[in-house]
Amino acid sequence: MTTTERLTAPTPGRRAVRRPLLAVDGLGVQFRLRDTRMHAVTDLNLTVRAGELLAVVGESGCGKSVLAHALLGLLPGNATVTGHAVLHHPDADPVDLVTCGQRHLARRVRGRRVGLVPQSPATALNPVRTGRRLLTETLRAHGRRREDGDQLAVDVGLDPADLDRYPHELSGGMAQRLVTALALAPDPSLLIADEPTTGLDRPLVDHTLDLLRRRCDEGSAVVLITHDLAAAQRVADTVAVMYASRIVEHRDADQLFTAPTHPYAAALLDALPDRAFRPVPGDPPMLTALPAGCAFAPRCPRRTDICASQPPPTAVTGGAVACHHPITTGAVT
Amino acid sequence: MTRSGRLAGAGAVVRRRLLVAVPVLAATSIGMFALGAASPVDPAKQYAGAAAFTATEENLAQIRANWGVDDPLPVQYLRWIGNLVQGDLGWSTSRHEPVASVLAARAGWTLLLIGVSLALVLAASLLLGALAAYRRGGLFDRALRTAAYAVQSMPVFWLGLAAIAVFALALGWLPAGGLTDVTATSTSWGDVAHHLILPVGVLAVSQAPWFVLFVRDAVAESMRDDHVLAARARGLPGRTVLFGHALRTALLPFLTLVGTHLPELVGGAVLVETVFSLPGLGAVTVAAAMGSDFPLLAAITLVTTAVVLAANLATDLAYAAADPRVRLDG
Amino acid sequence: MADLAARPALLRTARSRLRLRPGQAGVVTAGLVLVVAVVGSLLAPLVWPLDQSAVALDQTRSAPSWAHLAGTDDLGRDVAHRAVYGLRVSLLVGAVAALVATVLGGVVGGIAGTLGGRVDRILMRVVDTIAAMPHLLLGIFIVAMLRPSLGAVIASVGLTHWLSTARIVRSELLSLRTRPFVDAAINGGAGRRRVLVRHLLPHVLPRLALATTLMIPHAVWHETALSFLGLGLPPHLASLGNMINDGQGSLLTGAWWASLAPGAVIVVVTLAIAVLAARWRDRLDPRVRAELHL
Repeated sequence: MTTTERLTAPTPGRRAVRRPLLAVDGLGVQFRLRDTRMHAVTDLNLTVRAGELLAVVGESGCGKSVLAHALLGLLPGNATVTGHAVLHHPDADPVDLVTCGQRHLARRVRGRRVGLVPQSPATALNPVRTGRRLLTETLRAHGRRREDGDQLAVDVGLDPADLDRYPHELSGGMAQRLVTALALAPDPSLLIADEPTTGLDRPLVDHTLDLLRRRCDEGSAVVLITHDLAAAQRVADTVAVMYASRIVEHRDADQLFTAPTHPYAAALLDALPDRAFRPVPGDPPMLTALPAGCAFAPRCPRRTDICASQPPPTAVTGGAVACHHPITTGAVT
Repeated sequence: MTRSGRLAGAGAVVRRRLLVAVPVLAATSIGMFALGAASPVDPAKQYAGAAAFTATEENLAQIRANWGVDDPLPVQYLRWIGNLVQGDLGWSTSRHEPVASVLAARAGWTLLLIGVSLALVLAASLLLGALAAYRRGGLFDRALRTAAYAVQSMPVFWLGLAAIAVFALALGWLPAGGLTDVTATSTSWGDVAHHLILPVGVLAVSQAPWFVLFVRDAVAESMRDDHVLAARARGLPGRTVLFGHALRTALLPFLTLVGTHLPELVGGAVLVETVFSLPGLGAVTVAAAMGSDFPLLAAITLVTTAVVLAANLATDLAYAAADPRVRLDG
Repeated sequence: MADLAARPALLRTARSRLRLRPGQAGVVTAGLVLVVAVVGSLLAPLVWPLDQSAVALDQTRSAPSWAHLAGTDDLGRDVAHRAVYGLRVSLLVGAVAALVATVLGGVVGGIAGTLGGRVDRILMRVVDTIAAMPHLLLGIFIVAMLRPSLGAVIASVGLTHWLSTARIVRSELLSLRTRPFVDAAINGGAGRRRVLVRHLLPHVLPRLALATTLMIPHAVWHETALSFLGLGLPPHLASLGNMINDGQGSLLTGAWWASLAPGAVIVVVTLAIAVLAARWRDRLDPRVRAELHL
């Protein structure tokens, strides 16, 4: 990190205290299936501020990616989205991403205001176009010069010569860096990065994470969707832990990693190799058959009778936690 | 990997295809010849035409001998196929001229009709199918599909008669048939184009549903592909997403299917030519069939098959050129 | 969206929208149309007999009226009356020809699918090449060599329409060969013929029946096209193709109705069969995307 970057990021301890950029309020996503409904996102509340790096963590299948697609209006026709997700802008009226419609999303929001690093880069690249054509096309669509492409490639750690290859000629890691470069091309004020470190080796993982961190320090915001807690710990300001379509705990990264209050967050931390290295017992529930009470109860060491019957209340104590029996020992206020 | 590098094996592919096509075409020609030989029609009487009624038995025998009609069938077949291979397509008994000159005079018009219709169908189906898929389930999508299913169940010759009834007879906008005005003394291209509007339109409309529905389904599916979602997420304009990404990848399987659909187009052209009295291969085919003109019918069928096979090969090579993942030299 | 990819059911729902899903009303209408068409053409000789060669030269080319619902043609014959008989002939020819094609395709596809290997490769090459022959031209050739007649038309349709059936049967058999229950039967000591008859045939038959049904419109089309060209059924016989052909002459004199009714009958019956077949296919195999490409 250079000195000038420090000057533009005057938030000691990485704590973002700026204006809200995205305010998600009671967001829900349901899919109509042949004979049932799938609740992929349930009553989700979040705020992302300019300069903030929010990590959304959880096991795969908990609804993280659906959240990303919901914010960009990219869900298939059998999805129903409820609630609000208001995007603020210093020079424009706030926009509710849920209700503003495809036309507005396509012309004003996607790419420039909210960018996405899609999951599974292998399939996210048009198989019959070279990386350079995709990059040039994206830069042009957002009024940037095609010459910026090489610099973007270097930024993500890609040799500009590799831009002239077709996607099937790229390794998984190269494809990952290419989709990251593509998402950065419009210079989005909010970047949603869905597992952006898949297929990268450790130095490149750190390179990518630092790149995202640097963007936040320059004033944009990043939502990092990952199942890699170590990555979240390295760069995140705040962390939201997602379980079975809900956010069960959302607080500052420092606090969460030192003293988690939700039993699931604690269990996830215990699963880290440098901690207890003890996997979370059991399996997450099917999103088509969520229990009436707390979805984590069957796997929870702290469960009581109430957990199975009553949905947990959300307590806001310097963060938010949805649990009947939060862990209250230690440093948590 | 450069394109020319990937396509280095094109020659080998062509050779491989020929190795397969030639024996099968030979087998087909044997089948056709056998059917012709089993036909109750006497080729000598056929050749003599109306003169057969007055011809003496000696004259007919002379014709038979000239034609080798009484030779064993394998000998006749080998003579026929040998002549075919050497470019001698035989003598048309229904038109009393060499088959080759019939084809030379007629094939151009049929090719023109098919070519222009195909170009029209491709352009229209890509545009309409993609637009319908872009807003799947929308008003335009539903209207287009209903129209496609309706047109698909109309026989092309009936569609042609309906077009004549409306545009030629009721509205008087376009000529009902022929290639030039009856009063015209020479062939002018403007006149021909004017006469071809209805036939080309009818053939195109009758073939369009299959293409439109295919493009629409393929693009609709492609619109849910990860890479198309990613293109939308990058904030690319709708037109670029639809035509540059969704259609571009959906197009690849379409390319090979166009080749397999050509035989339908040829059949449609024969019927349309008959409805509009055009001087293409359609009319001579029908006349040849009425007169059991084996050499002409067999030549037309085999030549069109060869053309279709060549077109199939061309579309497969075009596919290889359009998809960077395909390597021909592997 | 790996979260979603892990749940194929979700994608399946999205894709199922692509199908032509005729509503209940459409299916009922189509069923009624077909019942009327089949029963009507079966009973026609009993309730509304037609003298095929009768003409009424005093009422040629009269426009549709209550006396002649679809008008009369240039020989004064009632178009609606003849259209009923035309449908009768066309359905008969179509059904028989479709059966011929099914048997032929079933045998070729069955041999290719059960023997596999070299035989399969050769047979499928033959099928591919014949598929490259414009089947109307091939059909014309067959009719021309056999001289136009009912039998020639059936042979013409049957010999040109078996390719798709052969492909369906073959691919069905090849995919069945890899299924566990076939292995189990073979390991259980069942002979090849027994496996074929007891285990494979019951799986292939429904598909074969569907293919035959879908072929009837094709066969009707082919027959009407041949008749329209004057190469099909004898000209005095009321067939849909003959009637449209006859109507071509009347059309130029302003009697547009002579070709209208027979064509409309083809369109309605074709659509009805297509709608029912689409529903049937949905039932048969909900996984495969239905294509209604006629």
